Amino acid sequence: MLRIRGVHRRFGDVHALRGVSFDVAAGSMVALVGRSGSGKTTLLNVVGGLDRPDEGTVEVDGVDVTGLTEDGLSRLRRERVAYVFQTFGLIPVLSAAENVGAPLRLARTPAADREKRVSMLLELVGLAGHADQKPGELSGGQQQRVAIARALAASPRLLIADEPTGQLDAETGRSVMALLRAVVESEGVTALVSTHDPVMMALADRVIRISDGQVDG
Amino acid sequence: MWRLVTRRARAQWPLLAAVLTVVSIGATLLGVCALLVTRTADRALEVAAARAVPADTAVTAYAVAVGRGDVASVEADTRAVLREAATPFPVTVTGRMSSVIRSLPGRGGGAPAVAYLSGIDDLTDRATLLEGRWPSPGAGEAVLLESTARMLGVRPGSRVPIGAELDREPAPGLTLTVVGIAGVRAGAGWDRDPLAGAGYVPDYRDTSSLRTSRAFGPFLVDYRDLLAGGSSMSRMELTARPDLSQSDHRDLDRLAAGVLGADRRLAAVLGDRVQIQRVASELPSVLAATRQQQRVTASAVLAVAVLGVALTAAALRLAGRLTADVRADETALLSAAGTSRVQLAGIAGAESGLLALLAVAVALPLSTLAHAGLTRLPPLDDAGLVAAPTVSPLQVLAVVAGAVLVFVPVPARSGLARSGSDIALVVLAAGAWYAARADSARVDAVRVLAPALLLAAGCVIALRLVPPALRAADRFARRARGLAFPLAVLEAARRPRAVAAGLLVVLGCSAATFAVAFDATWHRSQRDQADLTVGADLVITLGTPAVAGQGVQVAAAVGGEVRPAADRGVAVGQWLGGSGEAPRLIAVRGPGVTPGIPVTAGRALTVTGQATGTGSIVVTPQLVLEDGTGLRTTCVTREIPLDGRPHPLPGCVPVDGLKLVAVLMPVIVPEADFETTGTTAITVDLSVPGADGWTAASAEPFADQLTDPAVTTHGSSLRLTAEVELGGPMEAARTLIATAFPDPGTVPVTVSQRFASQLSVGPGDDLSVLVGVAAVPVTISRVLPEVPAAPGAAAISADLDGLSRALLARGEPDFPIDAWWVTGAADASAAAGLHLGDIRTRTGEAARLTTGPVPAALPGALRLLVPAAVLLLLAGLVLHVTCDLHARAVEVARLRGIGMTRREIRATLLGQHSIVLLPLLLAGTAVGAAATWLVSPLLVRSETGVAPVPPVAPVWPWPAESALLALLLAGTLLAVTVVVVIQSRRADAAHLRVAS
Repeated sequence: MLRIRGVHRRFGDVHALRGVSFDVAAGSMVALVGRSGSGKTTLLNVVGGLDRPDEGTVEVDGVDVTGLTEDGLSRLRRERVAYVFQTFGLIPVLSAAENVGAPLRLARTPAADREKRVSMLLELVGLAGHADQKPGELSGGQQQRVAIARALAASPRLLIADEPTGQLDAETGRSVMALLRAVVESEGVTALVSTHDPVMMALADRVIRISDGQVDG
Repeated sequence: MWRLVTRRARAQWPLLAAVLTVVSIGATLLGVCALLVTRTADRALEVAAARAVPADTAVTAYAVAVGRGDVASVEADTRAVLREAATPFPVTVTGRMSSVIRSLPGRGGGAPAVAYLSGIDDLTDRATLLEGRWPSPGAGEAVLLESTARMLGVRPGSRVPIGAELDREPAPGLTLTVVGIAGVRAGAGWDRDPLAGAGYVPDYRDTSSLRTSRAFGPFLVDYRDLLAGGSSMSRMELTARPDLSQSDHRDLDRLAAGVLGADRRLAAVLGDRVQIQRVASELPSVLAATRQQQRVTASAVLAVAVLGVALTAAALRLAGRLTADVRADETALLSAAGTSRVQLAGIAGAESGLLALLAVAVALPLSTLAHAGLTRLPPLDDAGLVAAPTVSPLQVLAVVAGAVLVFVPVPARSGLARSGSDIALVVLAAGAWYAARADSARVDAVRVLAPALLLAAGCVIALRLVPPALRAADRFARRARGLAFPLAVLEAARRPRAVAAGLLVVLGCSAATFAVAFDATWHRSQRDQADLTVGADLVITLGTPAVAGQGVQVAAAVGGEVRPAADRGVAVGQWLGGSGEAPRLIAVRGPGVTPGIPVTAGRALTVTGQATGTGSIVVTPQLVLEDGTGLRTTCVTREIPLDGRPHPLPGCVPVDGLKLVAVLMPVIVPEADFETTGTTAITVDLSVPGADGWTAASAEPFADQLTDPAVTTHGSSLRLTAEVELGGPMEAARTLIATAFPDPGTVPVTVSQRFASQLSVGPGDDLSVLVGVAAVPVTISRVLPEVPAAPGAAAISADLDGLSRALLARGEPDFPIDAWWVTGAADASAAAGLHLGDIRTRTGEAARLTTGPVPAALPGALRLLVPAAVLLLLAGLVLHVTCDLHARAVEVARLRGIGMTRREIRATLLGQHSIVLLPLLLAGTAVGAAATWLVSPLLVRSETGVAPVPPVAPVWPWPAESALLALLLAGTLLAVTVVVVIQSRRADAAHLRVAS
């Protein structure tokens, strides 16, 4: 599903990624673990097409991400890859349902299908009763659930989550982790999750440690 | 504190530069307006004085009945008083005087003949020598007017004995040698000659005698000779003309005061050496009127300045709001670190003070240069108001006040407080509008503040309407399928924080569109006023009586349709008018053909008459001839005895194209008195082909003294017959009136609304209008808001032909012409070469009202307001969009994260701002249009400060407004696009990293 080979990324004098290579099998949940500044987020951005590597290749679902144009990368994120951000990344002026429906609008899904899918996803993340609430009216955990629902909306093949529990308390974080694990299984999606959370590591199918821009071991 | 201020300034310099730009623009606008209402206004007064027509600046002293022993001293003392009044300006003084009436012996029977002497200082400027030479000093020589010489039958070289003065202590007679024949010049003051420059009047009535006489004159002698020659003067007139070409506005005020006090000083100086003395001048009232016009212009310029202040305040409020947003975290940090509110206020104050100082440093020279540049552009340069870069105290004060006051913090308001203050603003604006509707010439603060208040109130109302409209768009957008458009709409509808930016956009757009429309409305009103004030495209107000063929001469020179017109004050019954203004009579010759008998130029007409029973009857036929333009002139003949012999009438038909339309024939019985009895039947044949349809009548007073008047065709002559009483009242007219048309009876007239109101009359009412010495019955056919050529006056409008017919039917031969009206003149400038009198054109009057030195400041200020409003709007918008997109950079990056392309993001952001901007610009335009309709009629004033006549018609110049809107739209979209493109490029993983 995901194939990374010899990826390097430099920011001036800082060598953020130094020849990272690994594969992720379809339908698995991989935890990316490492200290702050180790290169986790840079790697996730390269995988999601938000950033380009200086060297190396990244293949997602058989598509060479590094060879895509800007529009191609956008299409990749729209159709195959979805993000869950640490700060939830919701659009403040949209309601929970509208946030979840945003990727479907991008895919120009008919309104009826869109509404049906949004309802199903909100049901899935346990927020069916909060569809019309704005992000500011929701708790951190609820916002992250909305973010997960939005990430799943367009049925991506790869779900990238960058420290999804970083801004949540332990209890809420655990429930979000459980939700992630559940949707990976129920939706058949591949997940690449960066985290410091041992619970998350425990829930993952595989743990990859990154240190100083390199995969340990 | 200073370290924080300077470090923060280094870090946030783009933001502070934007704030400084906004304040500098506002302060510059204020500085320029201050210069316009001080330096330019003073200069305008000086230019207006330098450009004033001589009649407006002349100061004339009159003295009546000066004994012959006092003539020289009175003249010298009067000159001294005039020179003192004109201080400090250089002045030229010219004099003219006319002696008391003297007898003129040896001039035949009938009414006694009289004459008078005149001396004119600048005779060569006032008359044209036709034959001979001007009189030499000390030689007993005189020049006669052409008509006088013709009536007396004298030529250069003739010696004319003049009798003694007809006074209580008469000066003895004298003999003058005629050395030249002259003609009068138009507009040279001949209207103040005892015979108004006519040279001969058959029925002159001197104030010293009840009896009419035949008056000849003036006998124009050397001015110094008359001054020293021992004649008493009936009237003396000295005119001072100050040279105002290099005037200073303070000296002009001194001059006005000096002229106003001259009458009192002259009375004290002359004492009982004269019976009546007076100093008259239009100068003080002209200067006062100019000052008033200056105040009216200043009021409008100040209104523009207040609009500029409001705009600047709105822009600065936005900048302050954005600055506070940007610094919110920093302020919280400082507070958390223990900085007190007083210290925070001190930091803000120090920064504001520094910015204000910088703004003053920028705006002061900028306003000076902008003002100097503005005076080099139309209309100020056309008005002669080009000024070098200058600094005035008021300008400095305005710039400093503008730079400091805009930094006064406005406390943040809750929604409820904002609603309350918005309602208060609307109520205040409504009150100002109502108060400004009062038609007062007074320049007051209400009229200055009203436009800004109304625009601000309109803006807050418009801003209240935009959110509901966006909410409706929100509902519509939710049903859309894609993301970019709905997201743009939802963002626009659900982010209420842009009120300050919205206020600036609406206010800037409304101020700019209002300024453009107000400029057009003001110009249109001035043109309308000019069109109504000047009765035709070209009006030549005659300085001397019109002569036959003059209309054709005018038509040949200037082209177009030439019509004679009357424009004069009249009495209506016993009513002489209100508020010191006589009712105005405006009469223009309309189309239509008058019946008459064509006569040929050069052919000598003859009169042959006889009377039964007595052999000493004489007549003085007055032939009324009409030319192709409808002008009627009267040929007054000498006395013709009814002795059965033909008597030629030389010079009666000077040009071709004339036709005889009436004959008035006074009958004189020289030896008769009241006691004389008996009648005589007279028969007079005029050698013109007879014609049918002529009407005969006997003139009042005592029409029964001439009975059985008749006019018939007799062979190849027009025969007039009547029965005349030999005795009876001496004041009886005994005039036979023969006209080619019947008596029109009452003349239909239209009157102005003011006339109708003041006399409480309406359609169908009959009145009597005194024209000259004849009372003409009129009936009101219509009431109009205004009579053309007499705006604002109680005026009557009539057809000049009908009026003239009515006058002729009453024995009044004088055609009431005061001017030539020309429609469609091809070359109006050629009229000046005719030297017929004052010339006014509608275009010239419109130019005087629009590009004259005093009003020119207003269009100048408006042309400054438009770019200032556009610049402030764009500067504020860029500031807002930049800050907004900066604050939402992470959000933009997240949109990329969920798969939006850069193009979609740009479309979303552009759409979002466009969806807000378009309604705001439309709302601003609507507010500008509403203000144009509501405020323009109140703000546009006439020269005197009162509401213009005709009423102001608001103008919405579509091409200019469309161009302005296109410019605003293009400018705002360009500004937004640039910022959006930059922002969307920056929306990358780096922002997501920051967010995470």
